Amino acid sequence: MVSLGSGLLAVLQFADSALPTGAFSQSLGLETAIDDEAVHDETTFRAWLRRFLHHQLAPADGWAIRAIVRDGADPLEVDAALHAMTLPVQVRDGNAAMGRRAAQIAEQNFSGPAAQAYTTALGRGEVIGSVPVVLALLARDHGTGWEDACAAHLFTSLTSLTQNAVRGIPIGQNAGQRVLRAMHPEVEAALERIAAMTDDEVGAVSPALEIDQMRHSWQRARMFMS
Amino acid sequence: MSPVPEPEPTGSLELRVARQGGRHVIAAQRHQGALRLLRPVYLDSSGQQCVIVVNPGGGYVGGDRYRLTAEVGEDASALVTTQSATKVYRTAGRGVLQEQRFIVADGAVLEVVLDPLIAYQDADYLQRTSAVVAPTGRLVLTDIVTPGWAPDGSPYRWRSVLLRTSLTRPAGEPIATDTLRLVPDEDGVAEHGFLGRRTHLGTLLAVAPELDRDAVEEVHRLLADREARVDGLRAGVSPLSSPGLAVRVLGPATEPVHELLLDVHAVLRSRWGSQPRLNLRKY
Repeated sequence: MVSLGSGLLAVLQFADSALPTGAFSQSLGLETAIDDEAVHDETTFRAWLRRFLHHQLAPADGWAIRAIVRDGADPLEVDAALHAMTLPVQVRDGNAAMGRRAAQIAEQNFSGPAAQAYTTALGRGEVIGSVPVVLALLARDHGTGWEDACAAHLFTSLTSLTQNAVRGIPIGQNAGQRVLRAMHPEVEAALERIAAMTDDEVGAVSPALEIDQMRHSWQRARMFMS
Repeated sequence: MSPVPEPEPTGSLELRVARQGGRHVIAAQRHQGALRLLRPVYLDSSGQQCVIVVNPGGGYVGGDRYRLTAEVGEDASALVTTQSATKVYRTAGRGVLQEQRFIVADGAVLEVVLDPLIAYQDADYLQRTSAVVAPTGRLVLTDIVTPGWAPDGSPYRWRSVLLRTSLTRPAGEPIATDTLRLVPDEDGVAEHGFLGRRTHLGTLLAVAPELDRDAVEEVHRLLADREARVDGLRAGVSPLSSPGLAVRVLGPATEPVHELLLDVHAVLRSRWGSQPRLNLRKY
C-alpha cells in the first residue's frame, strides 16, 4: 500500500506558483530594485531573494502559518494582523486579492471544516483574505505539519519571484534554477527562525524593501501590479 | 501559585491633556522614579500643550523599565517630545524596555516627536508602543534610529534594537502594526537591501480622518522633491487601511532625516488646521 504524506498532493497543487491567484503579477519590490539597478544579475538577485525570504516572507507569512497550524491561533485574527503589518498599500491590496482567489480555489477543491469557516467569514466581510492563511487552514484540514506547509508556501513564493527575475532582469532559466536550489538551506534556516519567533518579532520586515514596495506605486512604466 | 509580580519600573509617567476653552492643559499627571516632565510649554499660538519628557539619569542602562502613558481628551491637542536623544548604554544581561501607551479621543490631536535613538555598543533596547485612536482622533508618531555609538566609531554595534508600534481603534480593530527589528549580527543591517546602504532610519506613522489619498500624494511629492535636492535620502510613503499614512526615510545623517520628517509633519498639520511647522528650538 502506497502512503503519501498528509495532504501532500493538496499542498503540491495549492502551493504551486502556477495556482491562478495572480501571484506572477506581484513584484513585491523586485521591479523597483531592478529599475534602480540594485538587482541586475544572478548574484544580486540571489542576495535580494535571500533578504526577501528572511525579512519579508518569514516574519509575516511564515509566522501566520505557524500560528494557525502549530499554535492553533484564530485565523480571523491572524488575517487581520497580516494586513495591519503590511504597510505598502500595493502589497496589502495584492495580498487581499490573491487571498480571496485562493479561498475560492480551496473551497471548490479542498473543502474542509477550517477552510469552510474562513470562506464563510470572507463572504460576510469579516476577513480580508490572505494566501498563507488559506494554506494553513488547508493544512489543518488535511493534517499537514506546519513545517511542511510553511516550507511549501515560502518556496513557492520564491519560485514566483524567480520566474519574474528570469524574464525581468533577465537571467537565464538555468540561473533561476541555481538560485532556487541555493534557497533550500535558507528556507530551512527560515523555518528554524519562525519556530522560535516571539510576538515582538512578528512582521519585522526590511525597511529598504518596504520603501521599494512603497515607491512602486509611482513608477513610470510598470511590468507588475505591485 | 501566585504570579510573579511585575518589577517596579525605573521610571513611569502618566498624563492626561484636556481642552479648557481655547487652551489645552495637563489635567492630570503622575510620575514615579527616573522619568518626569519639564515645565509644560506652548510652542505656538495654537494653544496646543507641549510636553517635554526628561530622563534625569541621562540614559538607559540594562534592566531599566520605563512606562509612558499619554491620553488626550476630546478636542484637546498635545505634543509629546523628549529633551534630548534617547541613549541606551551597554546592557549586560537584561535589556532595556520602554513601553509607551497613547490614547487619542475623538476630535483630539496627539503628536509624538521623539529625539533620535542612540544605542551604544552591546545595547539591547525594546520599545513597545501602543496607540488607541478614536475614529476622528489624529495621531502622529515619529522615530529615528541612528547607527549608534561604539568606542572605535564603527556603526551598528548594538545587540538588538526592536521598535514595535501598534495602532488600533478603541474597539480593538488593528489600523497598522510596525515592527523594526535591527539585530546587526543576524541580519546584516549595514548591507544593501536592509537599510539600502544608508545609516539613519526615520519613520512617521499618522492616522487622521483628513489623511486621504490626496494627502498621501502631497507627501509623496515632498519626498520626491527632497530626494532630488539632498544626496543620500531615499524615502517612501503609503496610505494605511484607515485614513492615515506611513513614511519611511533612509538617510546619511540625523539632520536631513529629521528635517524631512518635520516637513511631512507640517503637511499633515496643514490638512487639519493652521498650526505652523514644529519648531523645537523655541523652548
